Amino acid sequence: MKRLIVAIAAFVLLLNAHASAAGAHAQSTQSAAKKASAIQVLMIQSDEIKLPPEFQISLYENLIQQLEKHGGFHVYRDGDRNAANSADLVVLHSTVRGFKKGSELQRQVTTVAGKTSIKVHCWFTDSSGATVLERDLDGKVLFLGGNLRATFDFAKKAAKLAHDNFAATQMSGS
Amino acid sequence: MKLFLMRVFPGVLLLLFNPLVLSSVAQQPGENVGVVHVIGLAGVKPKTKGNLKIEDGKLQFSASKTKADVEITSLQDVVTGNDSQRVFRGTIGTLTMFAPYGGGRFLSLFRTKLDTLTIQYRNSDGALHGAIFTMPVGKADTLKNLLLAQGAHTSIPMHSDSAISNPRPDESKEKKP
Repeated sequence: MKRLIVAIAAFVLLLNAHASAAGAHAQSTQSAAKKASAIQVLMIQSDEIKLPPEFQISLYENLIQQLEKHGGFHVYRDGDRNAANSADLVVLHSTVRGFKKGSELQRQVTTVAGKTSIKVHCWFTDSSGATVLERDLDGKVLFLGGNLRATFDFAKKAAKLAHDNFAATQMSGS
Repeated sequence: MKLFLMRVFPGVLLLLFNPLVLSSVAQQPGENVGVVHVIGLAGVKPKTKGNLKIEDGKLQFSASKTKADVEITSLQDVVTGNDSQRVFRGTIGTLTMFAPYGGGRFLSLFRTKLDTLTIQYRNSDGALHGAIFTMPVGKADTLKNLLLAQGAHTSIPMHSDSAISNPRPDESKEKKP
């Protein structure tokens, strides 16, 4: 019985140590994301998925609008020559990994069907080209609004992610 | 047979291509097209109603309070598509959602088709911009033709535009990792 208690205690201690090590590792990854004064948004790529052009443009423009709205850094567009002058610049790359075009009519008539969803893989690189943060984000519209509203949902999440990790002033709430 | 070829065949051809002739006559450079700016134009709020016209080598959008223009030669991509929207929309449309006995859902069945025009362009700094407009059916293709004629570029030729905006159901399905 005594041996069993000792074994359980050792197991719990081992688990605890493993969890704290994992936490420390996660924290180091988070702290690797440095603060930046400017962000450059590259055009959303959709090589694997056939994305309608209006969705691609809407993703890009909504992303820029949301980043500008949240503030915290200067936002440069894809190809902007002025971005080269920025000292601490992070570049946001996005690739569409999944897309399901729903139907606004189905959503309004049935409430439960017709969902539109987009899955986007985002990663941030610093001026040396090294990846400092990467995350999968999604955008969806379940009931109210047109199909393009899914791009707005994604843009809000991406802007919050960028702001929380790179902006000098932290954002309060979502 | 010769009489058929000389008189009837040209007549049949004219009848067949009548819609094309009419649309090209209907839309000329400098003519206003009523559109809704969905997103993208600098200094113009999303969902702004206005007019789009092609004049002096520029694509000009004008609303009651705002104006914006884009050099046609800077247009890197012009793509058309189609969509639909509720007949009853805006505040009234939202209020109909609360109609009893599923009245709002029933009204959702009444929809109007519309065309979308998506453009991509670069400004003087090389920054990439995009803009989306919606407009009455049949106007987008005509506008695209006019833009292409004046030096705009497109990644998708005219005949395959509809195929891109309406991908087959199996293509639009989400890709599983």
